[in-house]
Amino acid sequence: MFARLGLLATLCAAVGAAPQGTAARSPRNASYTIDARLTPATRTIDATERLTWRNITHRPATSLRFHLYYNAWRDARSTWMRELRLAGGRIDPHPGEWAGTDISTLRVVRDGAPAADLTGRIGFIAPDDGNVDDRTVIDVPLDTPVEPGQTIEVRIAWRAHVPRTFARTGAIGNYFFLGQWFPKIGVLEDGGWNCHQFHATTEFFSDFGVYDVHLTVPSTWIVGATGVELDAHPEGPGETSHHYYQEDVHDFAWTTSPDFVERHARFDEPGLPPVDLRLLLQPEHAGQAERHFAAARAALGSYGRWFGPYPYGHLTIVDPAWQSGTGGMEYPTLYTAGTRWLAPEGSGTPEGVVVHENGHQFWYGLVATNEFEHAWMDEGINTFSTARTLATALPHSFYTERYFGGFIPWVFHDLPLSRIDGDRLAAYRASPRADVPATPSWQYWPGSAGATTYAKTAVWLHTLENYLGWPMLQRILSTYFADWTFRHPGPDDFFFIANQVSGRDLAWYVDEVYRGSQVFDYGVASFRSERQADGRYHTTVVARRYQDGVFPLTVRVGFEDGTEANWTWDGRAQWKRFSADRAARATVASVDPDRVLVLDVNRTNNTASLHPQAPAAARKWSLAWLVWLQDHLLTYGFFV
Amino acid sequence: MTGAGSALRDGVRRVARAPVLLFGTFFTTLLIAIPLAIALDGMLKAQLGTSGIATALARGADEGWWQEFLAQAHGLGTTFVPSIIGFGAVLQDVSDLLDDVRMATTIAGVTAAWLVVWSFLSGGLLDRYARNRAIRARGFFGACGAHFGPIVRLGLLALVAYGILFGWVHGWIAGEYGRLTRNLTVERSAFLVYGAALAVFGLLLIVVNVVVDYARIRIVVEDRRSAVGGLLAGFRFVRRQPGTVAALYGLNAALFIVLIAIYGLAAPGAGTAGAIVWLAFGLSEAYLLARHFLKLTFYASETALFQARLAHAAYTAAPPVLWPESPAAESIGNTSP
Repeated sequence: MFARLGLLATLCAAVGAAPQGTAARSPRNASYTIDARLTPATRTIDATERLTWRNITHRPATSLRFHLYYNAWRDARSTWMRELRLAGGRIDPHPGEWAGTDISTLRVVRDGAPAADLTGRIGFIAPDDGNVDDRTVIDVPLDTPVEPGQTIEVRIAWRAHVPRTFARTGAIGNYFFLGQWFPKIGVLEDGGWNCHQFHATTEFFSDFGVYDVHLTVPSTWIVGATGVELDAHPEGPGETSHHYYQEDVHDFAWTTSPDFVERHARFDEPGLPPVDLRLLLQPEHAGQAERHFAAARAALGSYGRWFGPYPYGHLTIVDPAWQSGTGGMEYPTLYTAGTRWLAPEGSGTPEGVVVHENGHQFWYGLVATNEFEHAWMDEGINTFSTARTLATALPHSFYTERYFGGFIPWVFHDLPLSRIDGDRLAAYRASPRADVPATPSWQYWPGSAGATTYAKTAVWLHTLENYLGWPMLQRILSTYFADWTFRHPGPDDFFFIANQVSGRDLAWYVDEVYRGSQVFDYGVASFRSERQADGRYHTTVVARRYQDGVFPLTVRVGFEDGTEANWTWDGRAQWKRFSADRAARATVASVDPDRVLVLDVNRTNNTASLHPQAPAAARKWSLAWLVWLQDHLLTYGFFV
Repeated sequence: MTGAGSALRDGVRRVARAPVLLFGTFFTTLLIAIPLAIALDGMLKAQLGTSGIATALARGADEGWWQEFLAQAHGLGTTFVPSIIGFGAVLQDVSDLLDDVRMATTIAGVTAAWLVVWSFLSGGLLDRYARNRAIRARGFFGACGAHFGPIVRLGLLALVAYGILFGWVHGWIAGEYGRLTRNLTVERSAFLVYGAALAVFGLLLIVVNVVVDYARIRIVVEDRRSAVGGLLAGFRFVRRQPGTVAALYGLNAALFIVLIAIYGLAAPGAGTAGAIVWLAFGLSEAYLLARHFLKLTFYASETALFQARLAHAAYTAAPPVLWPESPAAESIGNTSP
């Protein structure tokens, strides 16, 4: 197989199809050349891979570690499956739908010496939980350490059995979406290997490199993959080999199906590099192509202007097959979206998922954080950015409910979704103390990891935006993006830049929202405005802190003559009284009237009115509910 | 011979001639629902307190507040969901019924109470529509009381049948749906399977429903005491004229679909305030009144069909006139020379 690869490379060079290498933008210390053949009938991939790995740390590597993610679904005893059950989830694959990666040979080549066969040394390890049944990480002891700066070549031959989809990789019918499908080396850091087992609630982490991949599939099947297709040529009877190539990325995913409908468009915005957009749609969604492109353009434009340009020049959007379970997944230069057959305008589908996954090209693809340990740095920052993009660059979406088995949507145009809905405040509110975000993400409680990772981060970033102002937060994020593109920043790198750019010490805030799990709830505890003997009104507001989260706030009172009184409160005390003597009677009092503190879990108690409208509001809504109940009774009246 | 169309027209006329029953049943439903609405009103007031957000809610809706309310809601409060707005309420109710979505305990309780009350009233309603003349309150409630026992027993038999349908058949169909669609990659295809599954289940539901309907009619019109006998008689009636029975059922169902389609266009949304709130409520109540009219038309038209096909002078020998006279006997007596 390797001989054939060499021949192919020679042929490519001969016909001018060989990739033109560009100046490295990343360390490129983990580059792969893969030759893979998919057999759809058996759902197997037979492949060889040549990894060129350079030790970029200051310590020698005495062993190599690889992820074999597909082994998480080899049986029900893996850590991934155990954590899924812990979260209350359940997947019952049929026989033949499990997965697995089996390495047949692993050889190491260095300095032109003969390959050392280390296959027999492969051992499964479970560095996170000691689960002896988990086979998602292998350790391969080396005869001779790889010294800092030294490069080795690892040649692996393997077979993967593609599962019925787990964790957004796998196959259903003639649709294959293949992520985390090849043996992938972990990240060596100065502290040792960062190569976690596969966990149910977290994703991935890997080094940048160059991917040069040949994918052989049935000739009538369409292929989409990370990078660009350099050429395609027949490879045996009824098969075609597609050659994809991409520099400066840290992962490679691909998809293939005979059913895709292919559409193309282009992102072209002054000041930003153009991007060729390729969309692989399911036939039943062919009418939604432009909505996908519009959302992708909105994301590329907004993120590009706010944070920095998308540099690759091409992007593939995959519309996953119904029930494939592969929607909403990001990989470098390629992501899956997800829509429905009936997806009316205003429902937010597919726009929301397209913007979010497109956003991961920035927060994950380019700024390549460790998703095992700091999932908030890609998912949380990206959820914040998604909500901001949806609120500013795309038409409003509305609360949408689906009926009749989930097939029939109904858009409630009376209920527009706000940016805070996009932040997923409701999800955060449901479990605000579930975990301290600074805990490594893979150790979060599986049942609420998403709320901590996605929602809490988005909500505290939105609060920070309100507190510092968008221009300042935008400078923080764009500086962070510029400094850490094509690298692996950690939380301290982000917080350092936030302090540096803002010129403030934000540690107090980081301690509360990241290193702690404080909950924020301020409210008006008491509000009075009484006429005095001199005809003036004495107004008193008592603002109260109901939880342990502390945040500086404004307290505001509005008067009948249209004037206002504003006080600032450091928010530390359990309660604080504010008074004013005015000629006019007060009408309304508010704590945090401008909603700076988006983290506040109870917004209703933030205001008090001396002319409360609760009876009118309650009457209106209880009447609406009464109509629903009568209709419900008549519907069940079917039985009598 | 009377066809489905004539029976429907006859039924509409019989309902129209008895507006007191229409308004009576309408207000019965309203009165049963109002206590819970008052309880919800209290929950909303308690949650809103003196909050300024109530001003916005009195004029429109706020998704963020709604999420906040639901986060602290329990019991009845959990049923206050955005789906109650406008036509969403109708979609949710029909969808929940067909998808066998479990209802909140409080709602299940009031639904059961309403079904019992309606079962009580159904004897009087059918008696009135069968006689097709005013029977006054005493006659109406007398008939309610006289037929309540057999109708309750019929209801228990129906409960067993519906229990089997929802408890077992629905689960089996859902399982089959899951099996058939497990590897489908096209949502439209899955929707077709869902539609077919719904059609099968709906057909079974309608068969049981129509047999129970005619059983109830025969219990009242023929003054039967035996629920089992009524059920068998109802079944025999349906079996002997399935086409007409189905056609009449279809016509009634079509009227229902037309009504909800109209309401779908006219249903008030959340953007009401002040007096408009009451206008919107009035519009929704008009729709609910029409729903009652159609439900009663179902009763009356099926009664008319049964009387035209079976319980008429040319078909039935005049029984000895004993108290209490059945509507059939009275009908025969009136037509005798």
